[in-house]
Amino acid sequence: MNIKVGMGSCGIAAGAGEIFDLLVKRAKNTDSGVTPVGCNGMCYLEPIVEVDGKMYTQVSEADVDDILSGIKPLHEAEQNQNRIALRNCGIINPENIDEYIEKGGYQPLNLTPEEVIEKVKASGLAGRGGAGFPTWFKWDACRKATCSSTASPCSDNKKYVICNADEGDPGAFMDRAILEGDPHSVLEGMLICAHAIGRGAPSGNSSLRDGALVEGIIYVRAEYPLVIKRLEIAIIQARERGFLGNQFDIKIKAGAGAFVCGEETALIASLEGERGMPRLKPPFPAEKGFWGKPSNINNVETFANVPWIMQNSGKAANTKVFALTGKIAKGGLVEVPMGCTIKDVVFNIGGGIQGGKNFKAVQLGGPSGGCIPASLQDTKIDYKSLAETGAIMGSGGMVVMDESSCMVDMARYFLDFTCKESCGKCAHCRVGNRRLLDILERICNGSGKDGDIELLEELSEEIKAGSLCALGQTAPNPVLTTLRYFKNEYEDHIKNKKCTAKSCKKLLTYSIDLNKCKKCNLCVKKCAANAITDFVINDEKCTKCGFCESLCKFEAVTVN
Amino acid sequence: MSCECRENLIEILQKTQEESGWLSRETLEKIAGETGIKPAKVIGVATFYAQFRDKPVGKNLILLCQGTACHVNGSAEIEAAIREHLKVEEGEITEGGKFTYSNVACLGCCSLAPAMMIISKEKGDKTYGKLTRESVVKILDEY
Amino acid sequence: MTIDNVQLTIMKARKQVKININNQEILTEQGKTILQIAQEAGIEIPTLCHDERVEIFGSCGICTVEIAGSPRLFRACSTFAADGMVINTDSERVHRNRKSVLELLLSDHTGDCKAPCVLACPAETDCQGYVKLIADGDFDGARELIMQTNPFPASIGRVCPHPCEEACRRELVEESIAIASLKYFAVENSTTPPPMAALLQGGELRVGIIGGGPGGLTAAYFLRRKGHDVTVYDAMPEPGGMLRYGIPEYRLPKAVLQKEIDMIKNMGVEIKSNANVILSDVHGKYDAVIIAVGAWVSASMRCKGEELPHVFGGIDFLREQPEIRGKTVAVVGGGNTAMDACRTAVRLGAERVYNIYRRTRAEMPAEKQEIAEAEEEGVIFKFLTNPLEISEKSIKLQIMQLGEPDASGRRAPVAVGGAEEILDVDIVISAIGQKLNPSGLEALELTKWGTIKADPDTFCTNLQGVYAIGDAVNDGAGIAITAIGQARKAAETVHAFLAGRGVPDAPFNSRYLAKTEKTSEDFADREKQLRAKMPHRCANERRGDFKEVNLGLTREQAQKEAARCLDCGCADFHECKLIRYANQYDVRPEKYEGLISKKTKNSPIPNVAQSPDKCILCGLCVRLCEEEIKAGVLGFVGRGFDTQVKPAGDLNVCENCGKCAEVCPTGALIINNE
Repeated sequence: MNIKVGMGSCGIAAGAGEIFDLLVKRAKNTDSGVTPVGCNGMCYLEPIVEVDGKMYTQVSEADVDDILSGIKPLHEAEQNQNRIALRNCGIINPENIDEYIEKGGYQPLNLTPEEVIEKVKASGLAGRGGAGFPTWFKWDACRKATCSSTASPCSDNKKYVICNADEGDPGAFMDRAILEGDPHSVLEGMLICAHAIGRGAPSGNSSLRDGALVEGIIYVRAEYPLVIKRLEIAIIQARERGFLGNQFDIKIKAGAGAFVCGEETALIASLEGERGMPRLKPPFPAEKGFWGKPSNINNVETFANVPWIMQNSGKAANTKVFALTGKIAKGGLVEVPMGCTIKDVVFNIGGGIQGGKNFKAVQLGGPSGGCIPASLQDTKIDYKSLAETGAIMGSGGMVVMDESSCMVDMARYFLDFTCKESCGKCAHCRVGNRRLLDILERICNGSGKDGDIELLEELSEEIKAGSLCALGQTAPNPVLTTLRYFKNEYEDHIKNKKCTAKSCKKLLTYSIDLNKCKKCNLCVKKCAANAITDFVINDEKCTKCGFCESLCKFEAVTVN
Repeated sequence: MSCECRENLIEILQKTQEESGWLSRETLEKIAGETGIKPAKVIGVATFYAQFRDKPVGKNLILLCQGTACHVNGSAEIEAAIREHLKVEEGEITEGGKFTYSNVACLGCCSLAPAMMIISKEKGDKTYGKLTRESVVKILDEY
Repeated sequence: MTIDNVQLTIMKARKQVKININNQEILTEQGKTILQIAQEAGIEIPTLCHDERVEIFGSCGICTVEIAGSPRLFRACSTFAADGMVINTDSERVHRNRKSVLELLLSDHTGDCKAPCVLACPAETDCQGYVKLIADGDFDGARELIMQTNPFPASIGRVCPHPCEEACRRELVEESIAIASLKYFAVENSTTPPPMAALLQGGELRVGIIGGGPGGLTAAYFLRRKGHDVTVYDAMPEPGGMLRYGIPEYRLPKAVLQKEIDMIKNMGVEIKSNANVILSDVHGKYDAVIIAVGAWVSASMRCKGEELPHVFGGIDFLREQPEIRGKTVAVVGGGNTAMDACRTAVRLGAERVYNIYRRTRAEMPAEKQEIAEAEEEGVIFKFLTNPLEISEKSIKLQIMQLGEPDASGRRAPVAVGGAEEILDVDIVISAIGQKLNPSGLEALELTKWGTIKADPDTFCTNLQGVYAIGDAVNDGAGIAITAIGQARKAAETVHAFLAGRGVPDAPFNSRYLAKTEKTSEDFADREKQLRAKMPHRCANERRGDFKEVNLGLTREQAQKEAARCLDCGCADFHECKLIRYANQYDVRPEKYEGLISKKTKNSPIPNVAQSPDKCILCGLCVRLCEEEIKAGVLGFVGRGFDTQVKPAGDLNVCENCGKCAEVCPTGALIINNE
């Protein structure tokens, strides 16, 4: 038997580690092999064990013997996704380069740099990190940049290929899954890029004739230890096979916890050992990047697409990976073709909303993105259509919200995030976004004032126009899109001091319906604030934690 | 000073913290002395990144995920439960030093929201998902 | 200007570019930023974070401009000019964005542009400034500074009820600074006679002033300084107004006042005494007229017997000083004039002096010191009484009690039904306020309170070329320093009017100024030092004569007292770029009221005083210290909203160059002269 265990961070968190160990122990004296694989995307079914192509889901330790004897009924997973970036995730053992090579990886590249760039251009690949900038254009600019910078204290003719694996959107884990499940696809993508930007030209442009020495760096966020481990293994294996190390090598740099380092100039500052404060553009990194050298920075998913493009000449790389989370029934990673709709993703792939509640909106692009209301669920997923709604494609976070999500609170949540992550360099972002948060906080606390909506709109526009980097420029997007589609919720909070989603605690009153109450005393005993006496909730003492409501078996606790 | 040395500052800080759990002002000044990087710069970098701590850390470090999925799925309740149960504020250490409780931006296991990670020398690093008020208390009591 | 092909070729060869800024064509070399080019062309683009000596940083975001063809805004400091660029540095859009940055920065910029004492002074006297000069021992300098806003420092130092001291923050530590006594001290201890103010030439124009009190004479002083020909008409035998006739000798010796008036006379101001002119006598004869006639009519007590001959108005009594030896006197009222009347009555030999006041001591508007000294001199206070009826030998009083607070915030006195008291008195003095006598001013519009209606900033009346100030206008009788303050502003208006420039810019108190509320907790670490006590003659000695009661602070006392000053106002006010831009862009930062960033205490920087609360994180100091000085003493600490600039490490590497302070656009870092 060929047994695969989903061993991404999510699988491990769900208990896959214990199951893996147990399977290894039990299978020791059989001819069965147990391999760890990355996340196959169906996170809601973790832990997942696959035996000879049959999938066992939500496996517990008690199921192990049944699996080995083939008893446990298998779950037929709908696999109607067209996978490019995730092509090997959950299928191959990420710690074994041979499995990657077997799937067609590291094939000799008999193309000139110009031909590579031409192929990337033909595929239509655009930056998957969120901005959607044409990848070939960046490569081409970096190829044409000369290494004559004198600004750097390091001399010599160097260029850099940098992989941005500082996945910062809180609610997205595409990059993590790719790097944990198929690290070689990214390494190979970088290798191809190095060839494209650095290899000398056979003729023509004299400045390109000699070529440059290219180094690769992967900047991984510190919160992903498993990614770092798998990448280290993958790099060692790729060196052993001679793919890396001779002409081009890659090193890993761990970030230290700063969302802003996902911004390419801040990432470079961080790589140089500085505070991750963005720098002014131009000059763009392609001209003057890491240590002043021409540097090409792409996101993980972008690089993962590249080997596939080389192998599938002429085909468009037109998928996007999303981390589907929130109030969705079947959360996980999905890779969908451009042009499908939000509705397709939420209902066909994601199985609709948890607990039969109503779909309200999705948030795309995290703190830089915006929300799209259920009424626009037929919006196509492509860069242009999404931008028209005020949201963005983003790096791939898709958080699904139902009627219990308060949209003012969502805006407040994202601004809180941005304020914590703002580097503090420019005034519009540092103070402006803090002031947006101040206003949103007071609205959620029931102290919103007349004119607050207009002030949010006015200030948002100035922050977008005046901020130095994309973090600041996009930070008001969650406010602007929620204002665009859910202004009534803002007005309700401000004028009527009411949160219809029953989410903003300061605006809620808990009470006990004595007709339903069976006087079991459970709520009285468990209330941490001692706010319940004689089955009456003292609103002044009540901290609105909602514990009593969740405890009551008779649904006697009501919220208004 | 070489680029090499300057660009390794973050790594040096990470390794030092791994050993001592946190970075005191004295430690930072010592690093400055050894690397030749100006103290103001070392302190500037150490205080910029969320990973670096300026106070000692408890035996077990709780990292509560503040990601969007966790927020939507009620991480605020879990936070309240941790604060109440351990009588500790965010970023602080419990009396006796058993736990330090910190919020983190996102652990990246959104499908398990709300989630937290506990980093422990004794028990290893573990991630817990689909937390509830009751389950989080139970997990903490196991430490 | 058009450029032909040949020129274009030459331009390219010389690496030149042609750009257009605000419709102005500019030819310049390649590789320059828009900010550089604009500066060279004399076009102002504001910036708070840029300096030629350091690399472009772009933190303040105030230098934004529009470039035709793009919907975005660009930072002028970091955008390099390209041939054919059409730039607008002053559009409505640009203005709005700059204003928003300034408002955001100011919403987290805590501190005080001006000290509370300065803001409280109706004449905008730089109290903090002269107190500091006194602390440093520069008494002449202190007097000179005072005289920039007030030509009567010796008089005002003695009589001013000092609103500055009410506002003084030292109160939050223990007691306010004795600011007025220090002013008195500075003048008395100046080593040189007051310098004659320099007169500007070209005063062909003539100004007539009716009223020779502190207001009229101050207006004369400032207008004369501007070179105008000024004539003051005063109805009394001697000039000085209420300072002379309303304030007793023991508080303000006439000789002190005379010296100050003489200085104004010596400047060439003509003062005509005993001149009973009315408006129509002067209107039209002068290029401008200022009415500063004061309020000389005592307000009515509205009780029976008020018209009897032994009933005097307070200021009439002070002026006439009738023979009252051995008599019993009742003075009605709780203000400073009432106290003056009580104490004058004591000195005139009254057998017994009562003060009748309808509230209690706590509500008395008179200065505490005056009340205490009156009591020491034997005045009997009858609180919670109000005159009902005056007869030849007695006064019948209504007993009062305090009710609910009234509009003034003080508890209103309410009659206690049937409770009355009768005092045997020979003389009754009514000192409950003064009113304007409007006769001769009929052409002027009056307020509903019977005062002249004057614009509170410019002091224009309804008649063109006629201005009015002091006790005669708007709120009516007030204090001398208010009249002095108004006089200076009116003089500025008149000067601008005479110069044909219309109405001048609003004075600073109508502009935006950063202000911060403080509590005693903010000063918890200050050592308590009690306020200096003004030495004065003992009660027994002083009640028998009119010699000055106060003796003046000693030098030691004064310098120690002045050193208690908390230096609330920003020392960088006149150099501060932030406040200059703030007023240029007409900011309203109040709308962004919110969280204030957390600042922790910094270790010291040699020769530099730090106020982290005022830092706007432009980063100039950090970058200059690192890039230009190569000391790297300063660095950013923390992230986001709570980022701070701090010195770190061994400060021996600091070059003590002070460049960090020099380059700071606000008062966050300033050179410490101590």
